[in-house]
Amino acid sequence: MTTVTRRTLLKGALGTLTAASLTACGGAASGPDGRLRAAFPIGGGEESLDPHTSSLFVDQARAKALFDTLVGYADDMSVVPRLAEWWEPDATGTRWSIRLREARFHDGRPVTAEDVLYSYRRIADPATASPARKQFLDVDFAASRARSATELELVLRAPNFEFPSAWGAPATEIVPAGTTEFTAPVGSGPFRFVSFQPGRPAVFTRFDGHWAGRPTLDELEFVPINDESARVAALLSGQVHYVHDISAHSAALVQGDSRAELLAAPHGTMQAVALKVDRPPFHDPRLVRAALSGVDRDALVAVALNGHGQVGNDLFGKGLEHYPPDLPQRERDVDRARALVREAGAEGLAVDLLTSSVDPCFESAATLIAQQLSEIGLRVAPRIGPAETYFSDIRTHGVAALTRTASLPVTTFLAERVRSGAGTANYTGYRSPEFDALFHRALSTVDAAERARLLGNAQRLARDESGLLVWGFSDWNVAVSRSVSGLRAAPPNSLDWARFERAALG
Amino acid sequence: MAVLVLRRLVVAALQLVAVAVAVFALTSLLPGDTAVVVLGEHATEEQVAVLRAQLQLDRPVWERFLEWLGGAVHGDLGRSLLTGVPVAEEIGRGLATTAVLALLALAVVVPLAVAVGVVTGRRRGSRLDVVLTGAVVVLDSVPEFALALLLVALFSLQLGWLPATAAGASGWELLAQPAVLVLPVGVLVCRQLCALARQVRVGVAEADGADFATHVRMHGLPERAVLFRHVLPNGLAPAVQQLARAVDGLLGGVVVVEAVFALPGTGSGFVDAVMARDLPAVQGYALVFAATTIAVNLVADVVSHRLVPQREVVA
Repeated sequence: MTTVTRRTLLKGALGTLTAASLTACGGAASGPDGRLRAAFPIGGGEESLDPHTSSLFVDQARAKALFDTLVGYADDMSVVPRLAEWWEPDATGTRWSIRLREARFHDGRPVTAEDVLYSYRRIADPATASPARKQFLDVDFAASRARSATELELVLRAPNFEFPSAWGAPATEIVPAGTTEFTAPVGSGPFRFVSFQPGRPAVFTRFDGHWAGRPTLDELEFVPINDESARVAALLSGQVHYVHDISAHSAALVQGDSRAELLAAPHGTMQAVALKVDRPPFHDPRLVRAALSGVDRDALVAVALNGHGQVGNDLFGKGLEHYPPDLPQRERDVDRARALVREAGAEGLAVDLLTSSVDPCFESAATLIAQQLSEIGLRVAPRIGPAETYFSDIRTHGVAALTRTASLPVTTFLAERVRSGAGTANYTGYRSPEFDALFHRALSTVDAAERARLLGNAQRLARDESGLLVWGFSDWNVAVSRSVSGLRAAPPNSLDWARFERAALG
Repeated sequence: MAVLVLRRLVVAALQLVAVAVAVFALTSLLPGDTAVVVLGEHATEEQVAVLRAQLQLDRPVWERFLEWLGGAVHGDLGRSLLTGVPVAEEIGRGLATTAVLALLALAVVVPLAVAVGVVTGRRRGSRLDVVLTGAVVVLDSVPEFALALLLVALFSLQLGWLPATAAGASGWELLAQPAVLVLPVGVLVCRQLCALARQVRVGVAEADGADFATHVRMHGLPERAVLFRHVLPNGLAPAVQQLARAVDGLLGGVVVVEAVFALPGTGSGFVDAVMARDLPAVQGYALVFAATTIAVNLVADVVSHRLVPQREVVA
């Protein structure tokens, strides 16, 4: 009797599991033909298809599929044409003429100069709270105008011969004039909107009328998977074809697996320590120099980045356009560093180094840096802060903090992070009239070679004074299934990063 | 009985308000606010100020709380600061996913725990008892997260039998692809099985050896009737309380399981809301969780109240 009872009960209990495993094969989720599934972390960020407020990588990737920008960035962050097929400044560098290529929105309307003006006005409007707003602060919209359907003129209040790089920045996509609603957005990108709910997958379908030709891929689905190991597992088990942002540890795992391929873009993200030069103790340049000489960059890359990266040279933008060539590599010099600390009378000085789990390498890097700097006579202690508000916290708190920056044009970095008027994004509090003047002169210079030379000088100055200790560049890792072709490793924010219309499933 | 239920409902309402106050207070103590989190790494102070004003975060906390409470009384939980979607709608979306997970897990764990408990409880010391009890203790000692990763590594990545995540699926549509549910439900079951089975085991053993059981056996009642009519009803009373705890445990467990298997339920929704400092959403989730816990415990009290007098009568 008890046997019967047990059997009945167990049968009931296991029924669900058994039934489920029998259907397992049928349920295997590779999706319909021609639909590429890309897994991205969505974080707690605002989930919207408004391209002008996008701040997360997934927002930018979706915006890239639905919309287009006037220009894009090559891997070295130099500008390449997209919707703009031709542009030219006047002799003063304040009046830019732009001609648009023939392109259409998903509803058939042509992309016009008015659409561009509307989009840039909307980005510059403080009420939009666009991360790209800074790029258009100098634009005089009252004086800017459309000359014809496909020609426009943008007028600047200050000369800037590098202005086109603003047109390729994240969150500068062109939307149809008058758009205020983005629940089912219309763009001019290679894919058109099918469905999306915040926090849920987004499904887009091929736009046959795209100016660059019909996409090879039929459909594109963005799948939200926040947990990094879940993303990698989903890729390896064939549920998704592309996973964004994987750690150095997973990168090693993927490299050893025949089912997937690692796409690692070198120089993807600058890894640095921001030493605040506007307050003690790092207002003393000797202590800044001591820190720069005191860290062992090779050890940091080997340990904190698991070898998946390159050593830094205390300057943003290694490998990018306008990065000064032939800079000697800064090496560790413990004796010199110790002497500088002594000279500054700072032996045994306690310094908190702010860090957080916001970047997977931050915490181990902070531990190692603290240890290295203790060898030159400073008592550095890592202090871990909350990840969600980290970058806002370190602006106001502390004297030294781990920081990072993804690829962006060198001139954008200098304008937004180093220049005096840069405001809050200048994490080190560096203010130098000399740098400002040099940078302004560079942007006002017509001759490209002379401009590059001046930009090089400005960067060398910032390298010694601005308090940014760039110890490395971490690779930018994504992984794709072996069944996908047509994707390549590209740094974040560049044109080829998260660009899916030339991908093919085979 | 009606008095008991009524009294408990009044207490429950007070508890909900207390939870709401506590959560509001604690969340507003967290560093940063929604504006800071939403705008992220590259925001200027000016942008943050604009967004803060748009989201009305520049108003005092107590003012926002009273307004929220006023709405909540009328069943309006406000709108998410992040998505602008009504909080109730947002929670509702996640609730379906979590309900699928929790109900399936319960449907498996309850009969399984009773079966294991009865078998081990009636044959204490037997080899079967040692093996089964040992197995559930081992399962119990592996943390959810590790267990989930272990199962994924084995059944998805090594053997390729089951999908590693539920990537993209959610809500009731999950039932259409049961394969993606096997591992997450399995993890939840493993975690809750041990405590519940042990509770059943103790109760059954006690009731099985009690005088009334010996008594009815002596009267020649068939063993099956002894088990179902006398031993089980008495042996299960303590287990019902444990079941209420198991439901709470399931709600806690879904946070981990939803993260590992990429299931967009209330667990991950709650974590996201806290991360984003989305106060109305955090409040809404906390209320739903608190209400579930209170309701489940109330039901458990009532059920065991109905079971226990039987013992008194028989014994």
